[in-house]
Amino acid sequence: MSTLWREHILPFALLVSLLAAATLAGDYLLHRLDLVWIGRYLGIPGTLLIVGSLIYSLRKRKYIASGNPKTLLTLHEIGAWLGSLLVLIHAGIHFNAILPWLATVAMGVNVISGMVGKLLLGRSREHVLGQRDHYQLRGMSKEDIERAVFWDAVTLDAMTKWRKVHIPIFIVFAVLALGHIISIFLFWGWV
Amino acid sequence: MSRTLKWILAANLIVLAILAFVYPHLMVGPGKLIPGHAKLESDCFACHAAFTGAESQRCVSCHKPEEIGKLTTTGLPVQNPLTSTPFHQKLISSDCIACHSDHAGVKRFRPTGQFNHRLLEKATRDECQGCHKSPKDSLHQQITGNCSQCHSQDKWTPATFDHAKYFELDRDHNVKCATCHVRDDYSRYTCYGCHEHSQQKIRREHIEEGIRDFDNCVECHKNADEHDIRMPGREREGKRKHGRKQDDD
Repeated sequence: MSTLWREHILPFALLVSLLAAATLAGDYLLHRLDLVWIGRYLGIPGTLLIVGSLIYSLRKRKYIASGNPKTLLTLHEIGAWLGSLLVLIHAGIHFNAILPWLATVAMGVNVISGMVGKLLLGRSREHVLGQRDHYQLRGMSKEDIERAVFWDAVTLDAMTKWRKVHIPIFIVFAVLALGHIISIFLFWGWV
Repeated sequence: MSRTLKWILAANLIVLAILAFVYPHLMVGPGKLIPGHAKLESDCFACHAAFTGAESQRCVSCHKPEEIGKLTTTGLPVQNPLTSTPFHQKLISSDCIACHSDHAGVKRFRPTGQFNHRLLEKATRDECQGCHKSPKDSLHQQITGNCSQCHSQDKWTPATFDHAKYFELDRDHNVKCATCHVRDDYSRYTCYGCHEHSQQKIRREHIEEGIRDFDNCVECHKNADEHDIRMPGREREGKRKHGRKQDDD
């Protein structure tokens, strides 16, 4: 129980709290330094980071053949977290239109869901570590064993169930965010 | 993802898309419009052109430049004009967006009360008093026109008035204007506003030097340097090093 708390729940709570604290700090600094206008454009790098983090999802579904999945997962987690931070600062605390706020809420739910996935993946990996001996007995190389253990962990039952929730949440977020982006392109004076 | 879930998702997103088209001001509009534009709130393209933003040409279809400040868009005389003189007729181009914006969420990021005077025709630009009233203080009440000798057209303050021409505001004299110019009266000054220059002390120091006319301090003292004294009528001597210390030596 204490291991679960120390190794999974505490890091999860810390990551969520850090995201909230960093958002508030960023918003405060932009206001304090009279640089609020920068916040208006932070949605662009934020979105690019989130889109970039999807390389892992493509790799996992074999749309991309190369790239270490473990490294890509780490980049997925960092990219999505940082991108979400930038988008949250971009959203500020200004309630103007419903669509972008629905997108922000969907993104928040998506980030939390992603962190739950990270927690579950950690647990799954512990479960499948026992299989390492089995792979070793089959004479597989160390690198192949690591990869096999990783894929076993991400395809474990709990992870499959989690994915059934995470993907619809992501689709909702993606569509709402796309609606917001299209409306900005349509009405904003870029020139 | 199950088929049912896919349908629920699709139905929800379609409803949201319909709402965005029916209620664009609530779904995508960045905040309320000004009361005068309230009727346009669900007609985004009354002001916006697709992919290029709000367009001045669409503004002038209702707000005719020759009538701005004189007549409303319905042709009635303006009851409470925001400026004392209509000036939109004197603009070099119809670039409405350079000064105006709408939607509460956008206006928040736009500086208010700022006007780029370079948008005015040259002749109008130099006639400040055509639009602006002189401040009520005694200094400005004495001056008519030629504002640009002290003020720029970007900001009223800081004024470019060269105080050093009369007296240098050095480290010891970097004080509020009212310390020397009591009650905002810039036609007068007093050096007795601080403890360093008490009337008694100044009198004693000048009498010791044999100087009896010391009412107008800046006539001789242009800065805090007590040795840099420029006595009127003695210019030919240049900067005169003079003071008690020298005499003491």
